[in-house]
Order: sequence, then structure tokens, then C-alpha cells
Amino acid sequence: MNLTDNPIFLTQKRLTHRAGVLAAALIAALVGLSLLSGLIAYLAAPHDFDFHSPQEAGKLFYGWTIGVEILVLVLGGFSKISRVLADDRKAGLWDSNRLTPLKPAEIVVGYWLGSALREVYMGAVLAGIGLVIVILAKLPITLWLGTQVLILGTMLFFGLLALLAGMAFQRPQSGLVLLLPLFFLQMFSFTFPRFTIVNFLLPIYGIANLFQDPANHVHDYSSQAWSRWPEIFTLPVPPIALSLGLQFVVGIFIWRAAARKTANPFQPLLLRWEAVAIFSLLVVVQQALIWGLWHGGFGITPDSPSLRNETDGAPMLSLVHGGTILVGVLILAFASPLPERVRVEALRTGLGNLRLVFSHSAVWLAVALSGIAAVASATQFIFSFKAHGTAWALAAVNLLLFLLMFALVLEYCRLRFKRRALGFVVLCLFVLCILPFILAGVFSNEAIAKLSFLAPGTVALAGSGSNDLNFLVGCTFAQFGVVALLFIAWQRQWRWLLAPAAPVPPEK
Amino acid sequence: MSHPVLTIERLRVDFPGVVAVDDLSLTVDAGDVCGLIGPNGAGKTTTMRAVSGLQECTRGTVKIDGHDLMRDPDQLKRRLGFMPDFCPIYDQLTTTEFLDHFARAYAVPDRPKRIGECLELTWLTEKRDALCEELSRGMKQRLVLAKTLLPDPQVLLLDEPASGLDPLGRIELRKLLLQLHEVGKTVLISSHILTELSGFCNKAAIMERGRLVMSGTIAELGRTMHGRRMSLKWREAGDRALHILKAAGVKNLETVAQGATFEFDGGAEALDGLLKTLVVEGVRVTEWRGSGDDLEQIFLHSGAKELM
Repeated sequence: MNLTDNPIFLTQKRLTHRAGVLAAALIAALVGLSLLSGLIAYLAAPHDFDFHSPQEAGKLFYGWTIGVEILVLVLGGFSKISRVLADDRKAGLWDSNRLTPLKPAEIVVGYWLGSALREVYMGAVLAGIGLVIVILAKLPITLWLGTQVLILGTMLFFGLLALLAGMAFQRPQSGLVLLLPLFFLQMFSFTFPRFTIVNFLLPIYGIANLFQDPANHVHDYSSQAWSRWPEIFTLPVPPIALSLGLQFVVGIFIWRAAARKTANPFQPLLLRWEAVAIFSLLVVVQQALIWGLWHGGFGITPDSPSLRNETDGAPMLSLVHGGTILVGVLILAFASPLPERVRVEALRTGLGNLRLVFSHSAVWLAVALSGIAAVASATQFIFSFKAHGTAWALAAVNLLLFLLMFALVLEYCRLRFKRRALGFVVLCLFVLCILPFILAGVFSNEAIAKLSFLAPGTVALAGSGSNDLNFLVGCTFAQFGVVALLFIAWQRQWRWLLAPAAPVPPEK
Repeated sequence: MSHPVLTIERLRVDFPGVVAVDDLSLTVDAGDVCGLIGPNGAGKTTTMRAVSGLQECTRGTVKIDGHDLMRDPDQLKRRLGFMPDFCPIYDQLTTTEFLDHFARAYAVPDRPKRIGECLELTWLTEKRDALCEELSRGMKQRLVLAKTLLPDPQVLLLDEPASGLDPLGRIELRKLLLQLHEVGKTVLISSHILTELSGFCNKAAIMERGRLVMSGTIAELGRTMHGRRMSLKWREAGDRALHILKAAGVKNLETVAQGATFEFDGGAEALDGLLKTLVVEGVRVTEWRGSGDDLEQIFLHSGAKELM
């Protein structure tokens, strides 16, 4: 079916036009023309401004233009798509569309490309004005093309994320929760822009790289950090290609999830193999990006000279470890089953036992993800395993413990507290991850301060630099104890849920 | 010979802590208008949603004209029209645009003509250019019904179609449903307001707490009743009539002006005998009406509760 024949796209277009697009397009034009007039003012009287060249002025004004464009297309589009979908679900229109012979993919495309048309019009106006700025400032046309392609790719990627948010959350604004981890990681990744995957999943590095002037960055280290191509196992890759490639591959998984949810809303967002595949992709690409720093000899091989120009590489692994925890948590949350689904499955199959629970639960998935992350991070220690193998092992075990804790806590809270589960999950994570630090901060006693090491992840982050190995191992064992207790509670809750579900005898 | 179009076998739907539909089996033949009756929370809407494919079933099968819902959902989508108990509409579209949306989705041939027909059938032709948000509740209900009729489905599932309608709206809807019955549509219609369904349902299925209490044609269900409610009116010899009724052992005898209502436990033959006795004894009977074919009577005898 052509997009122009897609009834959902057409309806969204009608609704957008009926609500009015002229005012929105004029606002975008006003903002863009204000920036353009700034450039024209500079070109008319260059001595009144501090710019060294028309190109420098053009980059500044074009930068602002695409900043607004990103805001409108990416964040505005995300918000609009998730809101439209959540509203249609609430009104029963999503179900009405699902009952028609339209294929799930056609429904998804209709919402994906049709819901944020007003934002697209605004973006198109800004892109047009941006082109004029680029031409007037005599900037290379590749700057305009490259940035627009990256913005378009990111808009489509975020649009897919918005579909998931609209399908998963009752309240549209809750979808922003999906974006918070990305922006959170983004803050830290500015220290190592070329080495962190989040800078490529978002188009930050690609756009910044296009703005760099190759002639200027030789002695400018801060500019150097953004001007080189990222390396995948030391193989340089154009940042635009890396960004678009990552967005495309991750986007395919999100697309599959959205289409599956449309076909059957009772399906989980991520299947187990998809969860494993998406996690593996992200972790392997991340480790490949930093491979060039130590070439498998972390701790014995000096940091790559290019990194030393930018910053010290020691905290890099800690940052990657933190990011891996966050991504693992998100994927586990998406792949974790709803308890009621398992209960229905128990009724269907007549297997009301823990074997069924294990086959659905995210607990084994936590083990699998930890294993993948451990193997991927081991690449940094291939030639320094004797010296730093313990630190690596501690980090790997710690990741396993944390992901296990999260999976157990999430499922326990869903079973025990049902609709109020989210609040209790946050409370549990606070107790596990933040409270030890608060206690450590409140009490000046060194022994109590060491409580912060009980927070999952801390042992791994401190592992490589700490001399008190016995203490860290002790903390890890204490965390094992916490996992064991959680496992017992989790098991009891599942038994309690499945016990009254008297299996229906299979049909004769 | 009857031809089953909608077959539900051992349907079960579970919600957290409750079995919403439990082991429900029901067959609706071609051209039947079957009333799904039950108090609020009986599982009518869940059954409708499960049959339409919107609600996942724990077990059981739903077949439309032999096509299994689970195995062949695409066939089902083309043969089934589902009207939910609320109005899912795009407020900012006109009625024609709204119908055009679904006509495209169903790939209806000659869209403008079919849209015109459906608007006419639901008496909305005058509102063809009105925005959906400007329509009254009754009109919105009719518009959703028009949308349901667009692809000319074989089976119609109408969930509480008259909920929230004023008396005039109900009369209009009733006329429309009679029209659908006349053109031979197979309809499964749920309601907890029995007067809505009386008159055009030839079949009924009574649900309570997720279970099917009884089902069959109205006549079949009437025959299963023992304590049948009767209404008698006379011109003269009322005292004699009351005496005969008491002697015949009727229950809950209530006198009204020139008449009485009572319950009679005997079968059809005994009832005929009672009427004969009255006439022979000189009671001039002007009305002798059994309400055994009333859905209300059937429902009351089914043992289900809390009906309006």
C-alpha cells in the first residue's frame, strides 16, 4: 500500500491540516529568518561583528537553525507521535484500526509518518532557511546535506521510539522516560566524544564533526576530539555512516516490536533473542569503539596518543560499565514478562510450576546479558589478563549481580504490588544503589563509609584501582546474599500467583 | 436448515484474580439475532471482545463461517463487524471523512457510493459534512454503526449499542436493528436492558458471572420455564374467575382493574385447560396473554440477577 493510500496516514494528515499548520510554519519561518537576517547583517557590515570569516558566522547561525530544527523534529515529533498514539488507544481508535484488514506494518507506518506532520512542515521550513544560510556563508553544501540526513535519520529513529512509548504507556508524557537514559549517558560521554556509542546513536558526534574545520584543529585539542573519525577495531568509519547504521539496525528491532505489539498487544515489547541481539550489538560496538585505546592490553599498554591529547583514558571502562548497566536494565524491563501473561500460559498449558516461570522470566536473560557484556569487555584485557584479570572478573560478577537484582526486584514488585509496581521498583533501586552512598556520606566512620561499596556496580567501578581486594570480594559475596534473598522472595511470589490458577485440562 | 455462522466453543478469558468468561459455548445461525443478556459484570463485553479478537482468550475457539479466529484472523476481520460499547471516533473529521478512513482500511470498492449508502441507512445523510464532535451521542452511535456496516460484514457484534441513548435514540436504533434483521444479517447483540432486545431477537443467551446460564431460541427458552407469568382480563364474572384461578393453584395472584396476573406452574396443556374452564364457567375473557416469550420473563427464570 502506498503511503498516500494509507488511511491512517491520510487521517493524520487531515487532522493536522484541520488543526492548522500555517501558524506553526510561520513561527518556524520567523525563527529561521531571524537567524538568516543575523548573517545578512554580518555580511553587510562585517566589522561590527567578532567573526573572523563569513564561514564562521555562517556556522554559528546555521548551528542555531539546526538546533531549533532538532528540537522541533526530534523532541517535538517524539512527543506528538507518542501523544497521538496514546490518545487513540484511549479512545479505542487503535483497536478499531487493528480490527480492519490493514497489516500491522501499515498501521505502524501510518502513525509513524503521519502523526508529526506539523513538525515536519516546520522542520522543512527551517531546513530551507538553513540551506540559504549555508549558501550565503559559502559553506560546503555537504555540511547542509550531512546535517539534514542525520537529523532526518534521528527524527525517524525517535519516531519509532515514540511509537513504543505510545503503545507501552497510558500517559503520553511517560514516554519521555525512554529518552532520559540516553540524555543521562550523553552528559558523561562528552568527555570521550569519539569513544562512546551514545554520541553516535544520537547524531551529536556526526553533526559536530561536520562543523569542524580541518585546517584549525591541528593545535586545538578540544576541537580535535570532535574532528576525527571514530574507529571500529581501529578501522576508521565516517561518523554519519556509523550514526545512520546504528540507528537503522536498532530501528529495525524497534520497528519489529511496534509491529508485533500492533498485531497482538499482549506480546512483550522485546522477544528474548531480540533482547540478546540488541544488547550484543550495542555492547560489541561500544567495545570496538574503545579497542584502539589499549589494543587488548588495558593497564599495561599506554593509552592511545590520540586519547592522551583529549583526556586520560582510565575512567573510560567505568563509564562503559555504567552505560552497560543502564542499557541492560532498560532491555530487561522491556523483555520482562507481565505476570498475568505467565498465569494465562500456565492455565493454557496446565503447567503451573516454576519451570514455566523460568522459561518466561527475565532472570535468565539477565544472566545471558551479563555473559555477553563480560565477554565483550574481556577484549580489553586479552593481553593483560594476568595483571588485571581480577578487576575484570569483579566487574563481570558485579554486573551479573546487579542485573539479577534488577530482574528479580522488577518481577517481584510486579507480582506483589501490581499497578503500584513502578514506585516500589524505584524504592528498591534507591535502597540498593543510593542509600549506601547516603549512609556513607552521613557517617564519618570509615567502616560505615565503605557501605557505599555495597551499591551494585560500585565494586566494579572501583575494582581496577582499589588495593583492598579482599574487601571488594567480601562486598561481592554480600551482594550474592542479597540476590539469594531476592530469589527466595521472587520464587514465593510466583508460586503464590500460580497456585490458585487451577490448570484447565487440555481439550480432548 | 440452520447454518451456523458464529460458533464459540469452550471460551475462557482470565483477568487478574477473576475468570471473566468461563467455558462459554454458543452457536448463532445465519440470519439469527441473538441477544447476549446479563447483568453488569456478567462477561458480555469480554465475550464480545474475545470474539472480535481484541481480547486474548485463555482457551477455546471462535469460528466465523468455519474460519478459526486464531488461525485465520484476516478472514475474520473481513467477515466480522464489531461495534464497541463506546464511540471510537476522530472528533475532528467529518462523518464522510471518518467513514472514508475505514472504507480505505477495508478496501471497500466504490467508496463514495458505499459511504452514501451507510450514511443513508443510519439516517446521517444530512450530517455528511458535519464534524464528528458536533454530533449528538445517538448520532455518534449511529455513525459507529455505519462504520461497522461499511464492509458489509457477515456477522455483527453490537456491544450495548443503546447505552447512553435517550428514548428517541433508542427507538431509532431499534428500527435500524430491525432493518438489519430483515436484510438477513447475523447479529450478536449484548445488553442489560431487556426492553432494547425484545421484539427482534429470535435467540437469547443469558450470562452471569462469566458463565452461560442458558441459551436457545426465545420459544425454546419459553418452554423451559415452569412458573410462567400470565395476564388475564375479563368483562364480567371476575369473582368466578378469581375463584377458578385459586382453585387451579396459581401463584402470586394479583388483581388489577377487570383482570389479574398470576404465575402458573403447569405446562402448555394445563394452561389450555385452565382457559377452557374459565370460558366454560362463564367468564367472558377479553385478554389471555402469556409473557413466556418475553426476554424479561426468560431472564427472571434463568436465575440471573441485577438486571434493569
